[in-house]
Amino acid sequence: MKEQKQFFVLDPRTKLLLVFVEAFFVLAVTGGDRLYWFRILFAVLPFLLLMASGRYQTFAIGVLVFALTEYMQKYIFPGLHGAAAVIMMVLILLISRFLPAFLMGSYVIRTTKVSEFKAAMERMHMPDELTIPMCVMFRFFPTVREECASIWAAMKMRGIGIGGSKGYEMLEYIMVPMLSCSAKIGDELSASALTRGLGISKVRTNICHIGFHAADYMVFALVIAGCVYWISGVIL
Amino acid sequence: MNEKKGLNGRDLINIGIYSAIYFAISLVLAFTGLIPIMLMLLSSMYGLICGIPFMMFLTKVKKPGMILIMSTIMGVLMFVTGMTWMPIPFSILTGIIAELVYRSGGYKSMKAAVLTAGVFPLWACGNYLPLFFQREQYFADRASYGQEYADAVMRLTPNWMFPVLLILTFVFGILGGLIGKKLLKKHFIKAGIV
Repeated sequence: MKEQKQFFVLDPRTKLLLVFVEAFFVLAVTGGDRLYWFRILFAVLPFLLLMASGRYQTFAIGVLVFALTEYMQKYIFPGLHGAAAVIMMVLILLISRFLPAFLMGSYVIRTTKVSEFKAAMERMHMPDELTIPMCVMFRFFPTVREECASIWAAMKMRGIGIGGSKGYEMLEYIMVPMLSCSAKIGDELSASALTRGLGISKVRTNICHIGFHAADYMVFALVIAGCVYWISGVIL
Repeated sequence: MNEKKGLNGRDLINIGIYSAIYFAISLVLAFTGLIPIMLMLLSSMYGLICGIPFMMFLTKVKKPGMILIMSTIMGVLMFVTGMTWMPIPFSILTGIIAELVYRSGGYKSMKAAVLTAGVFPLWACGNYLPLFFQREQYFADRASYGQEYADAVMRLTPNWMFPVLLILTFVFGILGGLIGKKLLKKHFIKAGIV
């Protein structure tokens, strides 16, 4: 992951909170109409964060997709009917709904190093049994995608792919190479991690300095304000 | 590494790798949920198709706890991808059951492994819980999908549907486990990977 200049840096724990808030209030639409503006705010926030962390490309794509879906929703779809139109519309709505959360996830994953994530988890006293697999997962996702693309290309050359007549064979021919190379990569990964002392029972040190700064407190204040507003609405 | 008990680094890395594969496949499958009938069959599809990597994962499982951790991670990921908090306790529950089933085979019996492959995908049924328990809110949130979609899903989900889904998922999971077993025999054992 290449280093990028960032205007302000959030603590990994704050980023985690943002992901949870995004999942709880925006995706799962907890709180209903009362939190409408809160939700709007959290739909805009990922864009700002992407800007601030210098990920202009993701930002630009996000804005473009957002504009496109809004446009289609407003001007093209009201006039359409039939099964295909319904499916398209659901797809578009799904995209517009998941986009903020997706961008937030992309921001968090791109700007958090695995060591930072681990350091934050250790600060929160999360058990290793849960954090190490998660670290490995984040490390492994790009690999899965890469391997999958290569296997897909190799199989296409042999005439196996979507449109092929045998669905079961396609499953086998993609899944089996995928799994066998994952097994190998997994062994290599464990060897590399063990040489760096993953297996020892002593407490491991971490080079990353994490801590809360002004930006973190701002986010906390915002989230707490939203929660208080929401709870007061439920109680009263 | 000297500890005999408990999970070591290698086990945890294996959990991470197979969870990543499992989750990647289920993400791709989730897009078929746009079609109402497929939404209902989603958990069964997880069982059927993810059965292959899962059987592979089971060959690496030799200690208690690994299946439970994987199941919990799935639940947490479902929460993060917007399925409300309900999948988390549900996935922990199904994880414990799957753990017990595989344990009964001494962590090596192939029969128990296939059975576990049937139980494990039940975590995905946790995604349906809001659909049954918070029906009004679920459809209010998705009102923008259009009335046709909501009606179609509504028709497919009377309350008795939930146990049916569980059973269906279990059956398809076993099927996936059997396919996985066949592929393991055909490819991986010969190649010496397992």
